[in-house]
Amino acid sequence: MGRQRGGPVIELRNCSKRYPSQLGQAAVDALEGVDLTIRPEEFVCLLGPSGCGKTTLLKAIAGLVSLDEGEVYIDGDLVTGPGPDRAMVFQDFALLPWADVVTNVAFGLELRGVPKATREKKAFELVQAVGLAGFDHHFPRQLSGGMQQRVGLARALAVDPQILLMDEPFGALDALTRRLLQEDLLTLLDRRRKTVVFVTHSMDEAVRLGDRVVLMTPRPGQVRDIVEVGLPRPRPPDLEKHPRFAELLEYLWQQLREMRP
Amino acid sequence: MNYALNGRLGTGRLAKRTTRAGLQALSLATFALGWELLARRLDSLLLPGFVETIAALVRLLTTSLLWEAVWLSNQAMVLGFSLAAVFGILLGLLMGRWRPAARYLDPYLNILLATPKAALIPIVIMATGLGLLSRVLITFSYALVVITINVRAGLSLIDPGWIEMSRSFGATESQLWRKVFIRGAFPAILTGLRLGLARAVSGMITVELLLVALGLGRLILDFQGRFDSGRLYATVLVVVAEAVALLQLFRWLERRVAPWAGNGVDR
Ligand SMILES: Nc1ncnc2c1ncn2[C@@H]1O[C@H](COP(=O)(O)OP(=O)(O)OP(=O)(O)O)[C@@H](O)[C@H]1O
Ligand SMILES: [Mg+2]
Repeated sequence: MGRQRGGPVIELRNCSKRYPSQLGQAAVDALEGVDLTIRPEEFVCLLGPSGCGKTTLLKAIAGLVSLDEGEVYIDGDLVTGPGPDRAMVFQDFALLPWADVVTNVAFGLELRGVPKATREKKAFELVQAVGLAGFDHHFPRQLSGGMQQRVGLARALAVDPQILLMDEPFGALDALTRRLLQEDLLTLLDRRRKTVVFVTHSMDEAVRLGDRVVLMTPRPGQVRDIVEVGLPRPRPPDLEKHPRFAELLEYLWQQLREMRP
Repeated sequence: MNYALNGRLGTGRLAKRTTRAGLQALSLATFALGWELLARRLDSLLLPGFVETIAALVRLLTTSLLWEAVWLSNQAMVLGFSLAAVFGILLGLLMGRWRPAARYLDPYLNILLATPKAALIPIVIMATGLGLLSRVLITFSYALVVITINVRAGLSLIDPGWIEMSRSFGATESQLWRKVFIRGAFPAILTGLRLGLARAVSGMITVELLLVALGLGRLILDFQGRFDSGRLYATVLVVVAEAVALLQLFRWLERRVAPWAGNGVDR
């Protein structure tokens, strides 16, 4: 809202995170010296093997995890906690089971003290926008996984963040639902222009969605490589046929294979 | 996809509900009939028939004797239960969210849980006398544990993911408590209150029968002493009816405020 073209820059400087040892378990170095600059209105995908610290990195940007070393800056401001400029979408949806769709979508606004009528109007619009018209008063357990994540997405968009942080949002969905949600996400973002940091396990997904793909090494997570996707936007429906698509997948696969322990 | 589905399930549920009500009515009718037949068969002063009991009940209901007893007994019960509700919810919340508190309080909770509470009655009466206070304390101790345990169990069902999600949207500590912990534990809190209420009623009657002859317990003892079995049974029916009515009220409340916890489809 009223934001100048360009949006915020996210800068991670030398970020390290160690989870201290607990009850007989060794301490875990989740991140080590991560430097990364995310450009305004860019869609960045974080790709890397399981346990390499992708979620930790995303939470550091969200302000949910305190780093042991290094800092995160958004437009030059040090991140010390969650803020209204960021919203997160979770792998397991994190919907409140006692709240219907509209109330779930409005939850972020509710926490920010937006009056009921205003926030429900906004939530109602977003329910339509994510393709859930008519499901306003259903409860999460009455929805399929794909529909639940649409609710999660609507909740994040409802607070109108400049930065969208998505942690394997489609990881729990079947292949077909996943493709549909990928397409719908791109359409939604087309009209909203946000900076997106998107964690995924899937090379295919990273290439379909991202402007750049950040490849991370196994634990402790470091940035191994950053790949410019360079595929046209809006992404054509037959993206697979693009020679660049196959080339990128091949390259990412090589890189990931070399990292195999 | 699901309007048709909901409609079908809706009528299905209605049919189910009528069958259930029918079966319950049948069960009660069989019981009353069996009772009446048994009483006629035995033809004893000690066992009044169902009809006789109901007649005695109707007569009792028109006297102030019963209502004064109900009022007296329930004073202690309501006060004791309310105190137990406040403390039980607070303790449960504290123990559910703060591990040291749980560790510290667990032994006491277990002791209270394991002790037959009737054993506490003489101790409480020795300490506080035969007045209202002792009866309040006893109903309180009957109801407290089950409320605490249920509230705590309710909190353990709160998904850490909901907490993290709320934080990511900037929830304050007090918002977290109100909108996540307490809201999420609400069905369990109501269940705890319902069970606590049943305990409180049983505490109220036990103390009146055992030590402080007063209220409904006193009535029961009086009628027993006079071999007035019709009114004795009628008074017991009143106690049972009160307990059942209160429990049903809570059941209904639970379903009203926590529709998501049920297995219904659309409410
Ligand atoms: N709260 C925590 N306490 C202790 N260790 C943790 C915690 N969170 C994560 N870890 C550890 O830190 C490492 C990185 O975790 P993280 O969740 O960031 O990885 P990830 O790349 O998101 O993995 P995945 O792809 O499986 O989601 C893992 O080894 C994990 O076990
Ligand atoms: Mg993860």
